[in-house]
Amino acid sequence: MKYSHVPATLVAAAVAAAMLAGCNNAANSSATDAAAGAGVNPYAELVKWPDWSGVWEPARFAGRPSTDSGPPAPPKLTPEYAAKYAAFQEKNRKTPGLNFVTNVANCVPPGLPSSMNQPYPFEFLYTPGRVTILIETYSMVRRIYLDGQVNPEETDASYQGTSIGHWDGDTLVVETTNILPETSPMQGIVGHSDQFKVTERIRLEDPDTLAIETTVQDPAVFLEPYTTTSRYARHKDWHIYEYVCAQNNHDFVDEHGNAGFSLERKPGE
Amino acid sequence: MTLKKFIGPALAGLAAALLGFTASAHHSTAMFEWGKEKQLEGVIDKFQWTQPHAFIWLKVPGKNGKEQQFGLEGMSPSWLGRHHWNSRSLQVGQKVTIDYYPLRDGRPGGFFVRVKTADGKLLEGLPGGPGRGPPPPSAATAK
Repeated sequence: MKYSHVPATLVAAAVAAAMLAGCNNAANSSATDAAAGAGVNPYAELVKWPDWSGVWEPARFAGRPSTDSGPPAPPKLTPEYAAKYAAFQEKNRKTPGLNFVTNVANCVPPGLPSSMNQPYPFEFLYTPGRVTILIETYSMVRRIYLDGQVNPEETDASYQGTSIGHWDGDTLVVETTNILPETSPMQGIVGHSDQFKVTERIRLEDPDTLAIETTVQDPAVFLEPYTTTSRYARHKDWHIYEYVCAQNNHDFVDEHGNAGFSLERKPGE
Repeated sequence: MTLKKFIGPALAGLAAALLGFTASAHHSTAMFEWGKEKQLEGVIDKFQWTQPHAFIWLKVPGKNGKEQQFGLEGMSPSWLGRHHWNSRSLQVGQKVTIDYYPLRDGRPGGFFVRVKTADGKLLEGLPGGPGRGPPPPSAATAK
């Protein structure tokens, strides 16, 4: 091992010094590791984190206002994406009942930030150095690293991207990059560049209301960062259901973006 | 008697207007005549408690004695399961009356809005039914 020649007491002293210095997240990580080795339970840090237990339902489905004063102002888009958005609006106007049709109808999960605005709830798990969000819809998982364990410069693109977080008091600040470019940066638009970045500030607004302020930015899509706030209602007595979209999906979207519905009944059903 | 007596027509209209998106957790509702209720009477052939949507296969007697099969999608167990439904809510062979939004293309299918069983039990299939108020207007802007 690389540092096997370093006396253990020296390592402990260095760790102690780092802790006393009010170190950053990466240093906290090594402190946590060393503390675990020294017999300090790494889970002890979790009691300092805010109580986000229970299951969180999007407020608009819980019958509560989800924004401060109605729909947020529209974002300022680059000409290319303004044209895409206008085309969607026009199609929506011409087709009664048309919602934003994406590959999600074919059970391909949405990426961030859409994944946080699904109709069904999510829950938080706390473990040392990490906050995990389990989202019921499409059974999506977000891992938010607080301990420097993952370097976003070294990860590959994914639906939920690579999330690095830190606590600002009782607010969890999360910066996410490496989100797959075929996902939707906002309702009405599909696609973005590899510069797409999502910043979330997650906090309790009152004991049973969670507010997430989400800022999206991408020089290819937005002329300036675009911020919205979503709210979620706590349900202490709910549990998360299994959600396997491929179980019995009769809906689809074709290669032209048109919505379809299958009445095929599988043999034996 | 139509099932609309069970909820105020105004409430039904409001729910229909607001909730196009709700059913569409993962897809459009453009293939349905959303908000234009029709009614079917038939016998449950299969009730599928499945994601992303519950599904009812209904046997409906035709004009000349020929039976027709209807396929009716509903909300997901994620919503229904938290609003008085479960996997045993409907049984094979049960006689039911179903209000639904039909497919635009005329095929025998659609989206079920509510189900009334022969013994008088009423199961609301969409937000806005009894016991749950309509969602706020901001819902209309959601996905």
